[in-house]
Amino acid sequence: MKWRNLLAQYGALFALIVLFGYNVATRGGEFLQLENLRNLISQNAAVGVIAVGMTLVIIAGGIDLSVGSMTAMCGAFAILTVNKLASGHMSPGAIMALSALVSIGIGALAGLFNGFVIAYGRVAAFVVTLAGLAGFRSIALVLGQGGEIRSSLPQLQDFGFGGVAIPGSHGTGGGPVILYWSALVFLLVAVATSFVLNRTRFGRYVIAVGANPKAAEYSAINVQTIRVAVFALLGALVGLAAMLQAAKMNSVGTGSEGLYYELDAIAAVVIGGTSLRGGRGNVWGTVIGVILLTLITNMISASNIDTNWQGLVRGIVILVAVLIQRGRPENE
Amino acid sequence: MKNWKLSLLAIAALALAGCQTGSDHSSTASGGSGPKSGKRFKVGVSIPAADHGWTAGVKYWADQATKANPDIDWNIQQAKNPNEQISQLENMQTQGVDAVVILATESAPLTPIAEKLHGAGVLIINVDRGFTKPVADVFIEGDNKAFGRKSAEYMVQKLGGNGKIAILEGIPSTVNTDRVSSAMAVFKASPGIQIVAQTSGMWNRQKAEQEMTNILVKNPQIDAVWASDDDMALGAETAMKAAGRDKNVWMLGGAGMKDIVKRVMDNDALFPADITYPPSMIGFGVNTAAAVLRAGKENALKYTPRHITLDVDLITPDNAKDFYFPDSIY
Repeated sequence: MKWRNLLAQYGALFALIVLFGYNVATRGGEFLQLENLRNLISQNAAVGVIAVGMTLVIIAGGIDLSVGSMTAMCGAFAILTVNKLASGHMSPGAIMALSALVSIGIGALAGLFNGFVIAYGRVAAFVVTLAGLAGFRSIALVLGQGGEIRSSLPQLQDFGFGGVAIPGSHGTGGGPVILYWSALVFLLVAVATSFVLNRTRFGRYVIAVGANPKAAEYSAINVQTIRVAVFALLGALVGLAAMLQAAKMNSVGTGSEGLYYELDAIAAVVIGGTSLRGGRGNVWGTVIGVILLTLITNMISASNIDTNWQGLVRGIVILVAVLIQRGRPENE
Repeated sequence: MKNWKLSLLAIAALALAGCQTGSDHSSTASGGSGPKSGKRFKVGVSIPAADHGWTAGVKYWADQATKANPDIDWNIQQAKNPNEQISQLENMQTQGVDAVVILATESAPLTPIAEKLHGAGVLIINVDRGFTKPVADVFIEGDNKAFGRKSAEYMVQKLGGNGKIAILEGIPSTVNTDRVSSAMAVFKASPGIQIVAQTSGMWNRQKAEQEMTNILVKNPQIDAVWASDDDMALGAETAMKAAGRDKNVWMLGGAGMKDIVKRVMDNDALFPADITYPPSMIGFGVNTAAAVLRAGKENALKYTPRHITLDVDLITPDNAKDFYFPDSIY
């Protein structure tokens, strides 16, 4: 009984430790390099930021399939803003900050739209965001004329690969290992969201709405407002993630940006032990889920395994992680 | 109960271990003829996932060329999108590669990471789709302008300077722009040539089939199709057959898919010619990386051209056998 509960609670962590140990055993020093560990946190930081927001939406009993397309749309607006301002006299830092705000704002608006239609239009979240998946991508493609939008601000890319130098470290490029801004943003967002979920009234309402909307309504919680709020919050986080991506690529590929992010984010949430039925979940599980998914890619690119196996390995890990977490009473 | 869950994990771990050891075997087996002393070079090959015939050909030729250079540790990675490709390149850097051979999923998004690797001293060999900054040590591409010009000149000549043409374009990119604009320049110089339709089939068979279906409905007469890619030509053929319009019309695809080359060789009325754009150019990139590293990067780069443009050839029934590789995947 204790064994099972322990596994159920820390299933994702357990899976991560197993896979981590396996990599240490087979790859040793190459795997444990600081730079490689940095990659594990930073490479999917954008998906991570989105997955953290998705955790709240799923706990509240919703789901958002539109986040990938929304990333492309926000990224397109971000780069267009960058280019518009770059021709003026504004400092690069101010340009990037403003563009990030535009990206976050567009994301929040898109999230609000999703939330409103779901809460007041009484349409299932799956359907509304399925429409968003098609619609937002289309807006991105129109903005980019079907191709990529390149930034005309070289400093954007310096931000994408900039960050905090880890003292005393040596990277393969010669200098110290840089902990990218994107990784720091990811961790900060996780800390903040975890706080909101566990330590604030809003967080308790989110859980209550997901666990039992009727009961929540009877306890005078404004269920629809909470629903709209979690979608808007996720949208804002998508905007933030889009800016991180745009900086890393110094451009946005309107056809390819954010492709399958919704699936990666949902996979990370599920691996992390958040119930798709709502009412239960935790942010740090999601963070572990994101790192676990990154570790799989990392493992495959270290070996000469055909990359096409990656999907199968992912599938197995998702299933195993979810199965070991089913230790709770069967009909919870 | 708890036991079977643990065994599941164990099975998953074993499965992964199996993959790992499998690859170890192959790399040791191929290491027989390596250099007698000194460290072995590590080279990453980063290419797009095989989403159509041509990219499948790229993977095939990357495999062939790396096998032919067993003294180097190769790591071939396929990416579905720029984000994945960036991660793979970053991982390659951490693994300490001496060089990477890159065919970019998209040009602009891959430029910053290529620049970063270049700055870290990694030799960059760029094939086919270029970067937006000169960060590659060597850039190898097919001559896309010649592709457009030669294909259009052939069509004008075969039509005797008169006819109605439909045009299928590829994915918006420098490659597509070069091909289309060069072809259009030739078509415009011939007043008897009428472009009745021009649309993008995205270098994709299904998309080309849809587009061709619409084109056929709108245009009762089409004499020839500039399909610019063999996958698209096959898609267009499906549409023509479905509409019963596959007579008195012919197509010029492109890239030299073996099925199409075979049909040119067999004098198929629908495919009188084809034009090469061989995915095997990735093999040339692989060989170039190996040669530059072996000779010493500093020195070898002094006499290695920065930009190599590969000529493209018109394939006709007379010379088709020289371009027919039945064992190739493409």
